[in-house]
Amino acid sequence: MDELEAIKVTFFQECEELLADLEGGLLAMQDGNDDGDTVNAVFRAVHSIKGGAGAFGLEPLVRFAHVFETLLDAVRSNEVPSTPDLVATLLRASDVLADHVSSARGLGVVDEAVSAAMAAELKACTDPNAAPAPVAAAPVVEAPAFEAVSAAPAEVLIGADDALDDDDLGFDFQPMTITIDEQAADVAAAVGNVWTVSIRPKSDLYRKANETALLLRELARLGPIEAALDASAIPPLDQLDAEAAYATWTVRLETEEDENAIREVFEFVDGDCDLEITRGEALSPDAALAALLAGPAPAAVEAAPEPVVVTEAPVEIKAAPEPVAAAPVVEAAPAPVAAPVAPAPVAAAPAAPAAAKTQQIDVPGPGQSVIRVDPERIDRLIDLVGELVINQAMLAQRVGEYGIAPSSNLAMGLDELEQLTREIQDSVMAIRAQPVKSVFQRMPRLVREVASMTGKQARLVMDGENTEVDKTVIERLSDPITHMLRNAIDHGLESPEERKAAGKNPEGVVKLAALHRSGRIVIEVSDDGKGINRERVHSIAIKKGLISPELQLTDEEIDNLIFLPGFSTADKISDVSGRGVGMDVVKRSVQALGGRISITSRPGQGSTFTLSLPLTLAVLDGMVVDVAGETLVVPLAAIVESLRPKPEEVRPLGPVGSVLAVRDSFVPLIDVGLTLGYREASPPPTEGVVLLVEGEDGSRAALVADAIHGQRQVVIKSLEQNYQQVDGVAAATILGDGRVALILDVDAVISLRRREPPRPVEPTLIAAE
Amino acid sequence: MTVLSLPETLDLKASGPLKAAFLERRGDAVEVDAGSVRRLGGLCLQVLLAAKTAWAADGKSFSIRAPSEAFVETTRLFGAEGALLSADTHGVQS
Repeated sequence: MDELEAIKVTFFQECEELLADLEGGLLAMQDGNDDGDTVNAVFRAVHSIKGGAGAFGLEPLVRFAHVFETLLDAVRSNEVPSTPDLVATLLRASDVLADHVSSARGLGVVDEAVSAAMAAELKACTDPNAAPAPVAAAPVVEAPAFEAVSAAPAEVLIGADDALDDDDLGFDFQPMTITIDEQAADVAAAVGNVWTVSIRPKSDLYRKANETALLLRELARLGPIEAALDASAIPPLDQLDAEAAYATWTVRLETEEDENAIREVFEFVDGDCDLEITRGEALSPDAALAALLAGPAPAAVEAAPEPVVVTEAPVEIKAAPEPVAAAPVVEAAPAPVAAPVAPAPVAAAPAAPAAAKTQQIDVPGPGQSVIRVDPERIDRLIDLVGELVINQAMLAQRVGEYGIAPSSNLAMGLDELEQLTREIQDSVMAIRAQPVKSVFQRMPRLVREVASMTGKQARLVMDGENTEVDKTVIERLSDPITHMLRNAIDHGLESPEERKAAGKNPEGVVKLAALHRSGRIVIEVSDDGKGINRERVHSIAIKKGLISPELQLTDEEIDNLIFLPGFSTADKISDVSGRGVGMDVVKRSVQALGGRISITSRPGQGSTFTLSLPLTLAVLDGMVVDVAGETLVVPLAAIVESLRPKPEEVRPLGPVGSVLAVRDSFVPLIDVGLTLGYREASPPPTEGVVLLVEGEDGSRAALVADAIHGQRQVVIKSLEQNYQQVDGVAAATILGDGRVALILDVDAVISLRRREPPRPVEPTLIAAE
Repeated sequence: MTVLSLPETLDLKASGPLKAAFLERRGDAVEVDAGSVRRLGGLCLQVLLAAKTAWAADGKSFSIRAPSEAFVETTRLFGAEGALLSADTHGVQS
């Protein structure tokens, strides 16, 4: 039972990936990239979901996936042309499929009406000739629309395919030759009711603990059966793979049931079993035809479905001891009819290994190049490497204390150790690094939904999906990005009418981009909407008492008011953004990650939210400084330069503040010790060192420290997890001498200084043990 | 003459050991005791058929002794009656 649950968990994990592949492929098709590979990949994704779902008996999911897959198969074989409209439909279908997967997982419920309507739409696309029926039927089922009543009665009846009604309205149906054919077949069935079911199990069928005997038994429930075994493909005993499928069956079945009932028997082995159901006896002409086909065609017949099987079940590749094992499967196929003739397998044999070989080259096996590892193991490894880094630093420090010459063998060995440690750390971090794609791929759906909910037209353009970032960061990117995108569409973009009036394309563009910039990952969400209405934001902030009316603010400062706690454009709460989660929450969650968020906006041209996060939450390059007897680490990424100020460069400003002249500009001087509460009065800046730092918004400040100890890589230990969040402090670390040092949050220190006008500092309890 | 007693369940897990058991006895006449079989799957059926063919090729006797009802019934269902339980099968109790 546990094992089954575990397999199920893996299945759902795979579903996540497959759904992402599906959407990625469809989006590529939307961009006009509808080559065979893309369409095949899309088809395979749906097919694999269906296959897995079948094994677990997830019927609604299987049913929907089947309809979806049928259409994709038609697209794949160019029976249905891939048009932008079709791709849009497929994208919506992928959303419904995702809902089915979630529902099967027990997360949420599928809207049956939506699903049924979607399935009908897909069917209509699959078979344009049959289109009138499902299209007309859909509104009848879903919402009784008036137009359907007058326009569609005849067509609905066609859909019903009812013989009695056919008699009543026979003249209406003259062109429907298919119906007549089926009727003819019905008549024949009434006499014979005989079906020929050809079953060719694949090895996967057995591997998934399914059993041909059970299938035959199920068939026998429909009516008397007679199975003819074709054992000709079974190799000699010593060459036989005991877990591979070779034997095939041709079953004669007499039943009152229809083809669907027969197919249902095989529902759960779909994909693991080649199935052919034909009406009537497998008479000699049929057998002759089958035998004829069996000779030259096996490669062609098998070529199409086979790669699908391999992709669908990477396990199979691992389980199969050697490529030869795959050959018999192919070999088994060519003789669907019981043929005790010896030459058949002999003729097929040489072709089979070749076919198997091609397969292996064609499909390198996506499962093969990927190892699934419990993330906890990697986290443990990263922790251990962190300890190694600390230990190495301790060792280096001890050796330094003994005054060993840098040229000595010991010191050189230590240097090498340090390099190695760093390489190990980089490699280990790379294991956990993932492209942001996994988060980005969820966004097109969000944009579609939000756009339709708000009645806006939006197109999402994504860039830099392959930008890699540590898994710990990825996991926490989703919420802020979701919120920023919602915000961009709901508040940023104008309605199509407004856009037209403003001379813009009615379809707004929302851009989501990821890039690496100076050791951080930057996520940008921009729109080409109306930009921030500064007057309104300003007046709201005053009305809510967030700022005093007489305060003069720059445009940038006004834009940033939306991040203030309690700021919400409450007079326009919408379904989408106004869910009580304000931008201040986003900002706080981003800050908790050691990240920053900022906004730039240009009236009439749109806004850009910029989110900047550390690439990892595990290590950091920092400058170790001394402040009021405490050791602090300043992130190196923030430091522009360090200098020792000359007296003439320091100018007082106001009663307590002072600025530093750096080349041709003035930068506010901030005493870190004073800001963090380590001391109550600043010593003259000229006695210490100054670190010129740059905040994420580009603002500069000069941080005053007492001394610089050096530059080193430190392992980040979360303060929030182990203690609580402390203003001005991003995290903590353990130094080489075993002491705890706090890592400075440069932006927070700058804004702490800005927010709080100088006043007598109350001693706070921030201190490193 | 060696005797090979089949287990109750002849499924996916049993097919590998079954093949190995036959390979061990290759060259000797074999009597397969199918009396306690309750479930016979497609994979083990294949092994049995391959073994029977191998024994025929070696010119050694291959017989199925006292097959259980389930064994016979499933073999019939598979349409493998003729191939497996043919004339040279001894002591069939159906």
